[in-house]
Amino acid sequence: MVYAQASANCPQPGPAIMNQAQIIEDLLAFIARDGADDDTFNAMALRVFGYQFEHNQPYRRFCQQRGRTARMVKDWRDIPAVPINAYKDLTLSCCAPEDAGAVFMTSGTTKDGLRGKCHHPDLRVYDASMKTHFRDRFMAGQTKMRIGIVFPDETMMPNSSLAHYLALAMREFGTPDSHSLIGPDGLDTNTLYAALDHAEATGEPYALLGATYSFVHLMDDMRESGRTAKLPAGSRILDTGGFKGQSRELEMDDFYNQLSATFGVPRSDCINMYGMTELSSEFYDNGNTVVPSVKSGPHWIRSRIINPLTGVELPRGDTGVIVHCDLAHFNCVSTILTEDAGIAVDDGFMLLGRVQGAEAKGCSMAVDAFLEAARG
Amino acid sequence: MTERAGYLPGIAEADIEWQTLDFQRGNAALHVEVPVLDDAQMDALAVRVKLASRTILKALTVSEIVDITDRAIARLLDRNDPYRRKCEALLPLVTGYDAEMVRLGLTGYLKTFRKPNLQKFIAEDFANPKILDEFQPAPKGGFTKAIGPDLLVHVWAGNVPGLPLWSMVAGLLVKAGSIGKVPSGEPLFAGWFAQLLVEIEPRLTDCLAVVWWKGGDTAREDALLKQADTVLAYGGNESLTELRKHVPITTRYLPHGHKVSFGMVAGATLDTRKAAGVAQQAAYDVVRYDQQGCFSPHLFFVERGGRVSPREFTRYVAHALAGFESKYPRRELTIAEAGGIAAWRDAAETEALSHPDMEVIASETGTWCAVYSEDTTTLNPSGLNRTIRIVAVDALDDVAPLVAPFKAFLQTAGIAAPPEELHRLANVLGTAGVTRICALGNMTAPEAGWHHDGRFNLLDLISMVEIEQSAETAAETFAPYTD
Repeated sequence: MVYAQASANCPQPGPAIMNQAQIIEDLLAFIARDGADDDTFNAMALRVFGYQFEHNQPYRRFCQQRGRTARMVKDWRDIPAVPINAYKDLTLSCCAPEDAGAVFMTSGTTKDGLRGKCHHPDLRVYDASMKTHFRDRFMAGQTKMRIGIVFPDETMMPNSSLAHYLALAMREFGTPDSHSLIGPDGLDTNTLYAALDHAEATGEPYALLGATYSFVHLMDDMRESGRTAKLPAGSRILDTGGFKGQSRELEMDDFYNQLSATFGVPRSDCINMYGMTELSSEFYDNGNTVVPSVKSGPHWIRSRIINPLTGVELPRGDTGVIVHCDLAHFNCVSTILTEDAGIAVDDGFMLLGRVQGAEAKGCSMAVDAFLEAARG
Repeated sequence: MTERAGYLPGIAEADIEWQTLDFQRGNAALHVEVPVLDDAQMDALAVRVKLASRTILKALTVSEIVDITDRAIARLLDRNDPYRRKCEALLPLVTGYDAEMVRLGLTGYLKTFRKPNLQKFIAEDFANPKILDEFQPAPKGGFTKAIGPDLLVHVWAGNVPGLPLWSMVAGLLVKAGSIGKVPSGEPLFAGWFAQLLVEIEPRLTDCLAVVWWKGGDTAREDALLKQADTVLAYGGNESLTELRKHVPITTRYLPHGHKVSFGMVAGATLDTRKAAGVAQQAAYDVVRYDQQGCFSPHLFFVERGGRVSPREFTRYVAHALAGFESKYPRRELTIAEAGGIAAWRDAAETEALSHPDMEVIASETGTWCAVYSEDTTTLNPSGLNRTIRIVAVDALDDVAPLVAPFKAFLQTAGIAAPPEELHRLANVLGTAGVTRICALGNMTAPEAGWHHDGRFNLLDLISMVEIEQSAETAAETFAPYTD
């Protein structure tokens, strides 16, 4: 029996506590490596955990409540995973929140409307993580591409990690004529159509990046104007985040078929990125010829599929809930319990969407219905 | 192992399309074949049951029906009876509940349908049960008779074993022909009971039927509903609303939606001698059918001021839950269910980090969880499946205003309190919307003749036919002996 109670136990210093400058330096070096074997990853994960256990007080209490301290944990799999919902109630930051150089907020699409915050002292590690992995997985050997962003930019959404991610992609990997396609007045179809024409005329590959639901709106607009494109070989599309109730919902197969038909980009070059505000690294697939695709991340993030109730890791092929250990998310909490269902497979995992709450089996009112009744 | 569900008089099994529902528990697999009738078959079935209801059932006396039912129940209580053996072997497989819990639950439940209880059941609604057999003189003058529907359609839901028995017996007692639709979560019991009744009294052969269709199959639903005189339906409000759209306006519709129940513990009961027993009873109500019943507790309100504090009481309950876990293990959960209660527990744990007045006690393997809270500003539900929230209150009188906003959903309040307090609380709880007050430990076992959701189980089903005095007086003037 675990007696969990909020109490201030005596601090137990973990091994080799680092300061912020040291951990940033270590992580930048870690990201720059070619890869990491189990031991190397484990050693770095324990250092990051030690750092967070020392500097992130709410997380420390959470770990103590789970009966774990930095000193006890010897395997990254035993690091207590914080449910992502905790970001709504707790400030999980190693640095003082007022010292954060960047604050990313969750989109608040959940039913209670509360938004969780992730604090970053600066974005050096975040950006290194994004750039290194994006180059490997999306750029497919090219150094620069003409990029169009189908998402509001950083000035419109200053607390969106996705807006930052996309801006960074355009800045680092875009040719000078890359552009944002969503302005204060909405979708800029003129620029888009000009870019599509340009690509078709010159044969120069074009990349479109944005939220999944933005693509739905974009395709609806194009269908209304009877517009399609046949983008040249090497062109690529990146969608992320799903529909989130912001557009009509499509089956994944239909979505990629439409995407492919609208832009002339084969489904194998339509990449889905899986990322979260509560992470500083992203997962990609190698195209969506078959859905659900297999997602994988870089060597500084590892994921497990667990039974959410027991925390026990599930064998390959079993559906469970995804836990990530993202070393790049060093200032908050690296190990998080998501609300995403997944299946572990060779070379990664398949993402199956949100874990659905269970329907009532009997005649007692289920939690969701109860809360709905409470709202009237 | 394969078992056929349903009971379909007048239709050859070979003419029926069967669909298989698979149930897997560990290494044991059960395939339940459920019947999918076409429109013509459903129609013919309804016609057949209506006819038998009028010509056969309505000609039996209530006493005869009570006797037949009592004999069927006696068979189900006999652990050597083949039907009982099937219940004990297959219902745990189908529902996932622990076999011992199902066995004990069935016995406790079936006991409440023996003859004396059936008589109480009737007496609860009819001062003079003979009114169901023939016209009886009415105090206001004239005569009245209670007539049950020709066709009562039952739409059952959920997976609590044996639940259809309530409405099946209610239908029988008012001489209603019944066609019941079993839920996919427990498709077996109703069919067995129908077969058993017919085995005992072959005259009932055409008086009832048990069918199945896939949820949302409105074509099948419509075929049956348009023939019904009365429809009795169980389920969530969403599915009940959907069903209502298919019930003709001339048909009586009696929905039983999902409910919220809770327990209350008075400070006076929490002395060091009695507190452990009270906690044990509270935990028992949580464990029984893993809180899936409408009568199962969603939370407990515990009054401060006893020798044992509400926080300590929570630990007692946790201890009792741990004890029950080894005796009656929880049903194996789907990943969605596990995710649901993990999210509930994790949210409580996170909340506890910033609320030192909270306490979360959980088993390492997630098999149960008790959360202690002092927050009475909002009524937070439990995650069910053996997760329970225990809320400290200064006085139990504070509870009624807390639950009142849920008036439309309230059902049972299990109470541990001294007599005077019990009656005082009952008054305010009744006004707040509670329809059943019972002892802790009895929440999941309503007594015979209870008023389910505050309604009349039998009266709601019947129509009164009256011979007014004027008819009587007028008739006198036409009598052959009149001067």
